Amino acid sequence: MLTSIRSPFPFRFVSCFIAFVFFTFPAYGQESQSDISAGTVVQVDEVSRLLHKMATVPQTLNYQGSFTYQHKDNPSLQSFRIIHWVENGVERERLQHLNGPDREFVRDGKALGCDTLGNQLLQGKISQFGASLARLDQLYKFEIRGPERVAGREATALLAIPLDQFRHSTLLTIDNETGLVLKSWLVDESARPLERYQFIDLDLSPDVTNLKPVAKLHRDAKAETDCNPSALKQPSTWKLGWVPPGFVFSGQRQVRQKIDMLMYTDGLTTFSVFIEQAEGAIPEGVAQRGATLAVMDALTYQDKTYRITVVGEIPVITAQKVAQNIGGI
Amino acid sequence: MTEQIQSPVLAESLSALMDNEASELELQRLLKALDADPEVKTTWSRYQVASAGLKGKLPVMASSDFAARISAAIDAEETYSQQSAPKKQNAVADNIVVVPSSWWQQLGRAAIAASVAGALVVGVQQYQAIAPQSSEIAANTAATNPAAPESKAVNLPSGINAPALSARTVAVQSGYESRPQESRQVMFVPRQEAVPVHNEDITTYVNQLIQEHTDNASLNGGQGMLPYTRVILTEDE
Repeated sequence: MLTSIRSPFPFRFVSCFIAFVFFTFPAYGQESQSDISAGTVVQVDEVSRLLHKMATVPQTLNYQGSFTYQHKDNPSLQSFRIIHWVENGVERERLQHLNGPDREFVRDGKALGCDTLGNQLLQGKISQFGASLARLDQLYKFEIRGPERVAGREATALLAIPLDQFRHSTLLTIDNETGLVLKSWLVDESARPLERYQFIDLDLSPDVTNLKPVAKLHRDAKAETDCNPSALKQPSTWKLGWVPPGFVFSGQRQVRQKIDMLMYTDGLTTFSVFIEQAEGAIPEGVAQRGATLAVMDALTYQDKTYRITVVGEIPVITAQKVAQNIGGI
Repeated sequence: MTEQIQSPVLAESLSALMDNEASELELQRLLKALDADPEVKTTWSRYQVASAGLKGKLPVMASSDFAARISAAIDAEETYSQQSAPKKQNAVADNIVVVPSSWWQQLGRAAIAASVAGALVVGVQQYQAIAPQSSEIAANTAATNPAAPESKAVNLPSGINAPALSARTVAVQSGYESRPQESRQVMFVPRQEAVPVHNEDITTYVNQLIQEHTDNASLNGGQGMLPYTRVILTEDE
């Protein structure tokens, strides 16, 4: 008799715990949600002040720093050094690989005071573009996740969570003194980190007179951009039938002699559209490396076939919808 | 059943650990809390049992205070080391160095502790071997089923120390130094297919476009030159 009572015991035991898990987790989730929304209201000023600083101060500084970089497809940690200085009112920058062969990117010639469109959006300077353009805080919910120490410096962690499903979340840890992003994570819609950067040191008075010669293997990064645009433009040859709210056209150029490139930004997130006339079978599908996604599609327009590629650090749903809504003018 | 979990942060970390997504820091915090708060241990045990129950993989269960009873039993053992302490003092007084007579008993204790640790490590490894598979499946479904509504965009890391990048592959890739530091390979999933294929033409093409796009990302994304870390810089391109 005793055994017949004892034997079902483990099963009751277990179902009790399952119930416990089901009841506890939802309640817990609600609790953290309400914490977040209460905090956001207080933080709005602080957030715009941080973003403004991030968009305006670093470009005026001389600094040198090392950081690590890791993305989801390659678990090995890479390290880089960035050197930024201002010479005769012009920004000069070098981004050096510290692992593997000696390589670097060099960017010269962006004039101080020349704000790109993305930079203006980040500063909240959008009144000249008309009331229809969404503000950054209508696209992302910003949360200050408190003070954080990175690279031995006092910083503030800022989380940007998109209010739609068309962009990724970003965690930015911004240096309190300089507005430099000392740590940055890009997080996808299922909360998986796509890539992360983190500075390990920062020197605000580097010796830029004795820099080592530019690596033999180097590439020049483009510095040309519209300065302080006061009106929004549209591409001249193609028309995008749909872009996510808040994204604006920031310029176009021709790359590799034959590909039209259209650039878009919302201030934090960017994507680019590449359109190229092509013959034969055009690959269609989704390509990915690290945080960057490329949706490839074909377009027939005026009896010609075009190869369309939408590239950006954006969710696949966004890239596909953009690619499927392209037409000629 | 009605009791509350101790601290939200700890509970969240525990939950993350269950999903194999706890960061190193969270793990440390949990291990620390484990000493201070026995409730953490019982919560962990409950999560495990519930999880096993849901998966229909309930093993023969040791009761939750199994470890505690073992500890109690060990404590109840007559302790020889304490007896040896006065002897040792005498020995020092006589300027003679004597190995405590019970050194082998202490060694025995260490061995027990080590074997317990070994059992823990084995358990964790088995657990990890299962968890990444499920996350891969999740990742694949997300990639191949883009039309699925992604309504909960706000499903985010619980805190600043969100889930770490897969630690599993870190182990696989150690000793990577001699090879190029970054892979230029692009994962390509053709339309109407579910599995990624490797296509050299597409890899080359996409890498070129990523480079061009990075000019845009760098000028208009608010983070200066950092996006150029995404570009593969090699001789041949």
